[in-house]
Amino acid sequence: MLKQMRYGRTLADYAGLTAVLLGMILFFGLQTEHFLSMATFRTIANQIPDAVIIAVGMTYVLIIAGIDLSVGSVLALGAAVLGVCLVKWGWPLAMAIPMCLAVGLLCGALNGFMTIRWQLPSFIVTLGMMEAARGGAYLVTNSKTQYIGSSIERVAEANVAGLSLPFLLAMLVVVLAQTLLSGTVFGRHMFAVGANEESARLSGIRVRSVKFAVFAISGFLAALASIIHCSRLTAADPNSGAGYELQAIAAVVIGGTSLMGGRGSVINTFFGVVIIAVLENGLVQIGAQEPIKRLVTGAVIVIAVIVDYYRHRLETTRN
Amino acid sequence: MKTRIILAPMLLAALALVFAGCGGAPTSAPNAPAAPQPGKPKIALIMKSLANEFFLTMENGARKHQEAHPGDYDLITEGIKDELDVNRQVQLVEQMIGQSVTAIVIAPADSKALVPVCKRAMDAGITVVNIDNKFDDAVLADKQVRIPFVGPDNRKGARACAEYLCKQLQPGDPVAIIEGVPSAYNGIQRKLGFEDALQATGMKIVASQVGDWEISKANQVVSAMITEHPELKAILCANDSMALGAVAALRAAGKAGAIKVIGYDGISAVREMIAKGDILATIEQHADQLAVFGIEYALEMIKTKQPPADRETPVDLITAENAK
Repeated sequence: MLKQMRYGRTLADYAGLTAVLLGMILFFGLQTEHFLSMATFRTIANQIPDAVIIAVGMTYVLIIAGIDLSVGSVLALGAAVLGVCLVKWGWPLAMAIPMCLAVGLLCGALNGFMTIRWQLPSFIVTLGMMEAARGGAYLVTNSKTQYIGSSIERVAEANVAGLSLPFLLAMLVVVLAQTLLSGTVFGRHMFAVGANEESARLSGIRVRSVKFAVFAISGFLAALASIIHCSRLTAADPNSGAGYELQAIAAVVIGGTSLMGGRGSVINTFFGVVIIAVLENGLVQIGAQEPIKRLVTGAVIVIAVIVDYYRHRLETTRN
Repeated sequence: MKTRIILAPMLLAALALVFAGCGGAPTSAPNAPAAPQPGKPKIALIMKSLANEFFLTMENGARKHQEAHPGDYDLITEGIKDELDVNRQVQLVEQMIGQSVTAIVIAPADSKALVPVCKRAMDAGITVVNIDNKFDDAVLADKQVRIPFVGPDNRKGARACAEYLCKQLQPGDPVAIIEGVPSAYNGIQRKLGFEDALQATGMKIVASQVGDWEISKANQVVSAMITEHPELKAILCANDSMALGAVAALRAAGKAGAIKVIGYDGISAVREMIAKGDILATIEQHADQLAVFGIEYALEMIKTKQPPADRETPVDLITAENAK
């Protein structure tokens, strides 16, 4: 019975988000000449993989009632390391990619370690990492954009049945992450830690291990996103990824994950990322100017959260 | 518990190794001035973000110049975290007043907000020279100060670059502009320069969007733009990072080569792409010389006590012929 209700609620979530999405697509379709075309959807599919992968990590972090402000900088650092390995040192891709992923994992692990070792709020720890990793990115690249060229382009151009490798990879991450979240002990422990850390500890959950793992995963995924980011731009810019953390948080929250922890879904996050991407593309296509774009984007984020508040209240009163 | 205690230094050591391994010794360590000799002018170079390749090049150029003329002056270089950190730059000028330097050469992060503090410096007897981003004339007039500007004419540079592009287009061709941060003076000037050339040759500007000076934002904006305006013939970017983002967007849409791209700044990555033919042209502002021009002018002013006047520095068009 409970299980049925939960499925019902998830379906309602999807329906709500899909309705928002379709509404936006319809609006932009009517307002512009070319929004309703394959080109638009190919563009969006091409743009979102890195944002999706970062947002998946952020979903986990928010579920355990943490926050990770460092993902944008870790992405830049990962890109910088990848760029320098490939361009300056002439490493093959097969060596540069593991190096890049290792750096991301290390940053994430460090975030997790500092959070649990000294019981620090993740906000402060990851704020520190946000600065440090950005500094690292400048240091590694000597503040210069590294033009990588064709070696990395292969990653973006590889495709299966018309779907690009980055897009398929992002989908794989979403499916794996959702399975881990809803189908494993680790997933249940994440929800428990986020809902109430103290009672999770008392019921024998290894809270510290869960937290450490979640931050390490977030760092790792930021580095994975950086590879896709570089393959799309064929360059590593140490300034890139600024503000990605906030965009990821926005996408996750639009997807209905609570900033208070204990609640969230990776699939909904995916919808959140798509909604933001559709919004961004649509606003460019109708030729909106920068101030209007920002006003509208801000409003959509806040409205989505308000809608979520009412949905959540409806649910709690029903229970 | 014990494992946790040794884990901390291990992780730190590992991170240090990664940074060390990823090479490139930091060239921008804060530059402590050598012990000042009496009578030798002490010049402070205050820049915007040293994270930006442009200012790093500027700083290195100034350092080299000082090393070549060690008897002429001592150099202090300072930068801020990012280009929007105006407060920090005001503090830096105040610190320099406190250290009673002889002259301040400044690339202001904001063309208005830095005027009052520079006036205070001048009142304290310090020579001030403005480089890179020109102080707002109205504010200067209001504060009744004259600060000489030594730097490139961004509007002229942008117009030259766009004129080169227009020679390869037909009148009436649809084009788009990718702008810098909307509040930046040099960004506004570059947009105006692009428009001067486009209007003179009768091109049609069908879209103009902000790319925030940055590769990924420009990439996203250009991707959406070429979907809506598949007829576009050219994209004019207000800096080179955004031009890189534009080229990546064109390639992803299978339009590489069909739409021409120009940039501004002459960074090394773009020079490579110009040589390959992916980008048509950019503008070299001689960043390495920019601060040097300012320093030389400050030294001249200290020596001759002449009234300040603006001085324009060269901008050069980079195309496939001279890219490498």
